[in-house]
Amino acid sequence: MWSLPRSRSSSSSSSSQSDGGEKRQQQREISVNIGGVRLALRPELLNRYPESRLAELANCPARSFDLISSLCDDYDPCRREFYFDRDPDSFKCIVEVYYFGEVHMKRGICPICFIKEMEFWKIDLSYLDECCKSNLSEKEEELAEIADKVRLLLDDLDGLDGEPEGPRRWQKMVWRFMEKPESSLAARVVAVISFLFILISSVVMCLGTIPDLQVEDSEGNRSEHPTLDAIETVCIGWFTVEFVLRLGSAPSKVRFVLSFMNAVDFLAIMPFYVVLTLTYLGTAMMELADVQQAVQALRIMRVARVFKLARHSSGLQTLTYALKRSFKELGLLLMYMGVGIFVFSALGYTMEQSHPETLFRSIPQSFWWAIITMTTVGYGDIYPKTTLGRCNAAISFLCGVIAIALPIHPIINNFVIYYNKQKVLETAARHELELMELQSLEQTPGGAPRKLDATWDGTVRPSRSDTHIPLLTAAHGTVAKKRSVS
Amino acid sequence: MIKTGSRSTNSLPPEPVEIIRSKACSRRVRLNVGGLLHEVLWRTLDRLPRTRLGKLRDCNTHESIMEVCDDYNLDDNEYFFDRHPGAFTSILNFYRTGKLHMMEEMCALSFSQELDFWGIDEIYLESCCQARYHQKKEQMNEELKREAETMREREGEEFDNTCCTEKRMKLWDLLEKPSSSFAAKILAIISILFIVLSTIALSLNTLPELQDIDEFGQATDNPQLAHVEAVCIAWFTMEYLLRFLSSPNKWKFFKGPLNIIDLLAILPYYVTIFLTESNKSVLQFQNVRRVVQIFRIMRILRILKLARHSTGLQSLGFTLRRSYNELGLLILFLAMGIMIFSSLVFFAEKDEEDTKFKSIPASFWWATITMTTVGYGDIYPKTLLGKIVGGLCCIAGVLVIALPIPIIVNNFSEFYKEQKRQEKAIKRREALERAKRNGSIVSMNIKDAFGRNSELMDVVVTEKTEENMVKKEKGQDNGNTSPTRWKWTPKRTTSDTSSNKSFTGQEQASPVRATSPSSPQHLNVQKLEEMYNKMGKTQSQPNLNSKERGPLSKSGKKRDEMEMRSIHADRAHTTAEGVMDMRSMSSIDSFISCATDFLESSRFSHSPISTQPSRVSANPGLETTLEHESMKNPVGPPKPGRTMFSDSPRGIRISNPLKTRSLKVNFFSGETTGPTAGSTQGGGSAALSDSSVVSDRSIMSPEVSVYTTASCKTPPKTPETLIPTVFTFHDASISKYIDADTDEDDHLQDGPGSSPSDRLLGNTSPKLSNSSHQRGANHLDLSQRMLGQNSLFSLEGRSGSGQENHVISGDRGRSKTINENN
Repeated sequence: MWSLPRSRSSSSSSSSQSDGGEKRQQQREISVNIGGVRLALRPELLNRYPESRLAELANCPARSFDLISSLCDDYDPCRREFYFDRDPDSFKCIVEVYYFGEVHMKRGICPICFIKEMEFWKIDLSYLDECCKSNLSEKEEELAEIADKVRLLLDDLDGLDGEPEGPRRWQKMVWRFMEKPESSLAARVVAVISFLFILISSVVMCLGTIPDLQVEDSEGNRSEHPTLDAIETVCIGWFTVEFVLRLGSAPSKVRFVLSFMNAVDFLAIMPFYVVLTLTYLGTAMMELADVQQAVQALRIMRVARVFKLARHSSGLQTLTYALKRSFKELGLLLMYMGVGIFVFSALGYTMEQSHPETLFRSIPQSFWWAIITMTTVGYGDIYPKTTLGRCNAAISFLCGVIAIALPIHPIINNFVIYYNKQKVLETAARHELELMELQSLEQTPGGAPRKLDATWDGTVRPSRSDTHIPLLTAAHGTVAKKRSVS
Repeated sequence: MIKTGSRSTNSLPPEPVEIIRSKACSRRVRLNVGGLLHEVLWRTLDRLPRTRLGKLRDCNTHESIMEVCDDYNLDDNEYFFDRHPGAFTSILNFYRTGKLHMMEEMCALSFSQELDFWGIDEIYLESCCQARYHQKKEQMNEELKREAETMREREGEEFDNTCCTEKRMKLWDLLEKPSSSFAAKILAIISILFIVLSTIALSLNTLPELQDIDEFGQATDNPQLAHVEAVCIAWFTMEYLLRFLSSPNKWKFFKGPLNIIDLLAILPYYVTIFLTESNKSVLQFQNVRRVVQIFRIMRILRILKLARHSTGLQSLGFTLRRSYNELGLLILFLAMGIMIFSSLVFFAEKDEEDTKFKSIPASFWWATITMTTVGYGDIYPKTLLGKIVGGLCCIAGVLVIALPIPIIVNNFSEFYKEQKRQEKAIKRREALERAKRNGSIVSMNIKDAFGRNSELMDVVVTEKTEENMVKKEKGQDNGNTSPTRWKWTPKRTTSDTSSNKSFTGQEQASPVRATSPSSPQHLNVQKLEEMYNKMGKTQSQPNLNSKERGPLSKSGKKRDEMEMRSIHADRAHTTAEGVMDMRSMSSIDSFISCATDFLESSRFSHSPISTQPSRVSANPGLETTLEHESMKNPVGPPKPGRTMFSDSPRGIRISNPLKTRSLKVNFFSGETTGPTAGSTQGGGSAALSDSSVVSDRSIMSPEVSVYTTASCKTPPKTPETLIPTVFTFHDASISKYIDADTDEDDHLQDGPGSSPSDRLLGNTSPKLSNSSHQRGANHLDLSQRMLGQNSLFSLEGRSGSGQENHVISGDRGRSKTINENN
């Protein structure tokens, strides 16, 4: 009742819109109906991109219904109207390629979804304009990150069932026990104990340097209190056991060695053993003084154990990530500071020369002053005394504030973005897993559909999720099995 | 001409055979969702047989179809759903591609409601959109929870029926709510002054010049300052006690953080007095002295009392509590930095002559002072290595401190904004309550009256529409010749200056013009109230609509229904509720979600809207009028002049504000006012349908805008004259809310206060247009509501569609045809 007049008016208006309205031309126009939105398009226009679906449609002979039905979802021969069961909104954007030669994504449409539409219409992705591409790449990056996260989660979930009996199975068990605190209660306990050991050993390291707590040995040398020494030994013992177990159970030794956290672990325990060997064996080979110096130097390396905390804190990991990401900005910061230090220390040195009791004795010495001033720390051990020198100092700390503040902003930005993203990724990955589980449940014939109101029926399969990772195809069956068992 | 499935014409429902035949003969189906037409293959819908659309395929009877959708038309193969069209696009795409994406602008909450309605689980949402969706949803849920909590707290302040409730309530308001009255404000200022004074006295007390020497040779307080202190403490004590006495819930009062601070501010004084008095003889003992000193230091806590009077301080406290995670991070970073740098500098400096870096714990102090860039200079490195470490320490300190700060700052600003908004909400609510107490708002009365009349209405209105119409006509005939609306209502009161209650009664009874007499102002207020009441409900009943679909719904939402009364068709209620509900929900949403939502909606409203709206707007409008005609016709030949009037007020009321609003509108309003103005003069013979067509359409458009603004359509090639008017409406109503949101208490109060009399005046005076003038922009909101009805009304009765209808609907809003029509 309504449809007839409407389509007439729409076709007439669209034809008058599209061209001067010659009758012949109107005959040749093809009208398409995309999910209820009707459009009339001229074949010449469509043929600009002969690869595209619409151009193929325009070119195919009117009688070949097979071809037509393969290209579109429904066809009305008398009106020569093709029906497509697609999203009209996206199509409105995509059809612009015929007019302007480029596609702009409408705001609000999910880029991933839009790409699928473009693929359907067989418009090459390269026609997507640059301004919208950044949007797309951003989304794709995010998807990749989610995929990574999912892979990690899947690794965690992976059971030991797949492994055959024997050493490999043990290896995997130990690895999960040491590396994945979430996997079991025992693993969590181990993680907490490890954390406590790090704390204790750090405290012991600090306490050991307090003179009151040190004892003098026979030669008058101060050495650490025996109790503290014992605690230290226990801690190192624990760290060593931990490290060896990790190393032994690591699936890939090379990757294990190259990992930053493991290097830190190694540095944390290495000095102890080196000192041990030096004190027992070294005396035979070299002078006592040398040995002691070496021991002292190695003591500094104990500081590395503080970094071991990073394994247990996501905040620290975020920090390292942010610093890694903003390497350029850090370089910028150091460069600004370096230039500032050179300029202002030189200026300060020259300006203070006139004063008889100057604290600026040489340019390298005034570097220290420049750093302390530019970072607005200002110890007061060196300070300018002449008026010119004071002016210089004022300028230098103003510049210092700016030099620090400018490059720091991107670093902070990186940090905040990563920090916030971490939370989002977590939920996204979890839901992705759920989705996979759901789909695998549907695939298994016996599996009862979990959600009653929203399952695909058996005949028409949904296409896989866009974010589907090849790795997961094999895995998700087992995941589902595991979940359903548990 | 009467179509199957349109209930308003009371035709028989179609046979199942017809339905099956209609489904079989076409491969496609047309889905009209909130006015937006979609065409889709049945095959596509079959992919998800358990969802709402999937079920539609299997429905073969009238009842089952009506359960699934809101209306349908077999001839057109079209099914109508009264839902938000914006979300539907993505949902339909889910059927097509198997991938559920979400429009970027969609509110996560409303999207999840839509998903619920269409029976799709949110788990299918693609990962790319999922992250955003869940983040937003969690955020919203959190915010809603918080809002509901504060509301509950406010509710919890109800006073029990113990002695002198009235007085206690007044006292409580006086002490706790500085904005409630002038006296309370003064009291708050005095309180602040006392706090400042006592703090100053406290610090002056420690000046050696002002101290006295007591008998033990120890310095004690200056007697004058001690007096000041005593007065301040007396004030604080009195304040605390009064608060405690007047508080509705003693235990909650005791637990409140601000009250704990108050207690801590006054307790030390009493403890000190107690200690000194009881131990006068042993005061020289060092221990007692030290305890007294400690308690004296605790007096400084009173500076925290300022938090009661400052939103900023409170949000600072909230922020710190909320971002303890980030604070922990900050401290962890600092601790690690201090640890590392102090041990490094210790090893670098320890061999130096008389170094101050004696041990690692000793150099902690240096590292702290350096990392925070304070730099006292009491310890500083001297060796080259130490200086290098020091330089690195400075830079690392700057970095490490700067990193977590922005997150905390973010939390703070969020909280601050939130706090501000809540303050405003409370203010608004208080103004509302005050107005209610004064009796200037009739909304409560309406509700009550309606509650009483509803059963009657159910029976009478649905069955005896015709009778009503006759009555109305009669009323009109018998009453004054002046065509006031009141004269048409069946339950006429004896005098025009009727009380509010009888007034409302009439209002419900008059089906066609039910909403027009009620002041738009009060509708506004009602909406506000609704918002408050539903605050909690949105959480607990995400699927309101599906619930109300049931037969029980009739009595469910009385207030909503009140407006819907005017529709005689029995099914109308349920769908009507659907709409009203959606709107009220969305209004809640917009209120709850912060200012950005306002911005967003206004952005939408500016965006020009393409094709669909005009079609929809025109089409129901026409049908409404046609139905008017058909209803009126049986009664007998209507007196043209008066029947005109029945329609003309609307036209005028709508067009007037438009005229004042923008130039663009003028074209359109000219169209509307033309015929209606003619009719007001009683020029009589102008075609009834004509005038009503125009006026109706003008009315329709804003309603459509409500729908379409949310659905983001591509911008049209040609701007429409219709649409701008629509948006001014929408904008106006929004800004109305914003006005209420901001501190225009007086405005809010004035409006309702003056409106009843105003209204009555308007009613008695024959010139309705005058009254509408007076009300000004306010009734935009009303008209929108009216539209709500109308559209429903007409959608129910999609019968006998006229010829113009086709044209308009056929051409989707291209201005050309619209102009032709006009």
